[in-house]
Amino acid sequence: MAKIIAVTGKGGTGKTATTSLLIRQLTKGDKVVLAVDADPDTNLPETLGCDTSKTIGDIKEYMHDERDNLPPDVNKESILEGKLYEILEEMPGYDLLVMGRPEGSGCYCYVNNLLRGIMNKLVTNYDVLIIDAEAGLEHFSRKIFRNVDDLVVVTDGSRRGLRTAERIRELVSELETDVSNIYVIANKVTDANRERISSTAEELGLELIGMIPVDEMIVERDLAGEPLFDLPDDSVAVQEVERIAQKLGL
Amino acid sequence: MADEFPFEISPMFEGERIRKDGMFVELAGPKSKGFELVRAADMDDVEDGRFTLIGPDLSDMEEGSRYPLAMVYKIAGELVEADLESIVERRNHEFQNYIQGFMHLNQRDDVWMRVSKDAVEKGMTSFESVAQAIMMLFKNELPFIEAVEAIYITDMDEIEKEIENARAVYKGRDERTRDLHDEDVDTFYGCTLCASFAPTNVCVVTPDRISLCGAINWFDGRAAAKVDPEGPQFAIPKGDVIDAESGEYTGVNEAAKRLSSGEYDRIKLHSFFEYPHTSCGCFEVVGFYIPEVDGIGWVDRDFAGTAPNGLQFSTMAGQTGGGKQVVGFLGVGVNYFRSPKFIQSDGGWERVVWMPKMLKDKVLNDIPEEMRDLVATEEDAADVDSLRNFLKDKNHPILERWVEEEEEAPEEEEATEAAPQAGFAAPQMQMPTGGFMPSMPMMTGGGSGGVKIVLKNAKVSIEKVIIKKQD
Repeated sequence: MAKIIAVTGKGGTGKTATTSLLIRQLTKGDKVVLAVDADPDTNLPETLGCDTSKTIGDIKEYMHDERDNLPPDVNKESILEGKLYEILEEMPGYDLLVMGRPEGSGCYCYVNNLLRGIMNKLVTNYDVLIIDAEAGLEHFSRKIFRNVDDLVVVTDGSRRGLRTAERIRELVSELETDVSNIYVIANKVTDANRERISSTAEELGLELIGMIPVDEMIVERDLAGEPLFDLPDDSVAVQEVERIAQKLGL
Repeated sequence: MADEFPFEISPMFEGERIRKDGMFVELAGPKSKGFELVRAADMDDVEDGRFTLIGPDLSDMEEGSRYPLAMVYKIAGELVEADLESIVERRNHEFQNYIQGFMHLNQRDDVWMRVSKDAVEKGMTSFESVAQAIMMLFKNELPFIEAVEAIYITDMDEIEKEIENARAVYKGRDERTRDLHDEDVDTFYGCTLCASFAPTNVCVVTPDRISLCGAINWFDGRAAAKVDPEGPQFAIPKGDVIDAESGEYTGVNEAAKRLSSGEYDRIKLHSFFEYPHTSCGCFEVVGFYIPEVDGIGWVDRDFAGTAPNGLQFSTMAGQTGGGKQVVGFLGVGVNYFRSPKFIQSDGGWERVVWMPKMLKDKVLNDIPEEMRDLVATEEDAADVDSLRNFLKDKNHPILERWVEEEEEAPEEEEATEAAPQAGFAAPQMQMPTGGFMPSMPMMTGGGSGGVKIVLKNAKVSIEKVIIKKQD
């Protein structure tokens, strides 16, 4: 059974960068990873250096628009599965799936139901699933992903970022999705805010499993719009993510 | 038996994905060509167990490359007939996925296969072993197949030659499939996917009636119920026919009772006024009775304006939805307009007076030719007055109903002369401009002859009412 890790957090905290580095770390071993970009607002493919254009949103729309034109007795699950495999981007060591745009105004109960079945089957092909999820956790409430082993909330040094972590924890308790563990990773940590982050996390009862320092290499690449996937091993962020991956049992 | 094959065969390999990293070759798929086809043939034309390959075999293929692949199976047997072809063909997908190291996606001329490196290392070096395994499974699992032979083609020229024939066969099948009707089957399908929004909803999907959300047709219901009979789509035995015209069946009524927790015990599948189908929360189109013209209008989710009754889709949907049987309103899927049984117990298309233009254009070819110009859109009529004039100008068959009413009730006609909308004697209702909705009069369809009028949150202004004792 694949281990499912969802990475989430407030916008701008670096959750996509952290997700990319976790994927980078995992592909160094022999684990087969499915990376899922479930945040319509972020750019996991770009950060990974992967060129992909089609999304689950597109194929859901296709199923919705074409349903009366498809042969009447065609197996729609098989069509949807084939379409999903078409948009699954195959990279060395990992596959990437982009959830994409939100649904239109029609009823997507049926398509989502088919999708749940296909995703359940697909997931069994991987050792680890890493999901870059928007803070609202929409795809979880829709049960496209059944359960989550580790929910990792990425925060920056601000109290607001940690508050988001707290809110996400509350949101999770309202979802019907099972989440086994909730962890926090602090990002863009400096010597000046390191202590305060630790104490705030403790005060809020959040389990802090890593503090990624500000990394000049990431800052430069972000500015240039370059992928983070091929950062060198001596990047300070990469090294901290390696420790985090160990703590997550990866 | 499986021992003779250089690979394992088991349903547990279904869903096995062969990634590019572990792939020996890719066959057909979105970047190449191919198809699968099952043909029924005479016993004399099928040599049982024979395999023919046209083009290179797996052992001749270059690792990491892509090749076209077509798979043709000829089946024969006393019970084999052309109608079974598609059922057998669909099993090719399932059975090929049972083979470890073989991935099969899609169907027909969209098929897409991959063979894994591991499988080739373990001895899957020829398509013959794959085809023999599939033929064995066909015969074991589908005992009506007495003889089967397989022809695999990996030669692009040959595939291009054959693919048009295959497409013609698919097309012919689709035409036959579209010709399937309620009377041809003994099982309908139910769906509870939206039961959380509409707890008393009874969704009945039949060959002539698509689900209200428009997503599930009878074949989808059948496919899903076969895989998981306890799942969200399940069989509803049709039972006995109570009335074929309105679509009332004992099996459906029993299911209605069960699924609505006793709220409803009768559903007429093709009726608008009497025991109509319940309306969930997901329907694509809502139909509404327009008493002033005794006709039915339809408005779809995408139409943002107001219907001639002064209401928007969202308002009517809010009142109708939730799994209720609401006389005077009916939620349907767009494809129901294509059904030959479309509200047939209430006059079918001859009862339809209004639709948004976009919706009308979408189903134009399915409207009987003589009715196409007679159904008004928002461009022809925005309110009841202009609708009435339009219908008169076009001599819409609904006029016959007005005449009947006039003849039957001459006195009322005289009495309501002062009203600006004389001509039809159904209760005149002033439609509220927003937020309010009167429930429609219950159509009791004869019997006691009584009329029940329920008005909720209604504003009614009447200049003059004359009530006379019946003679």
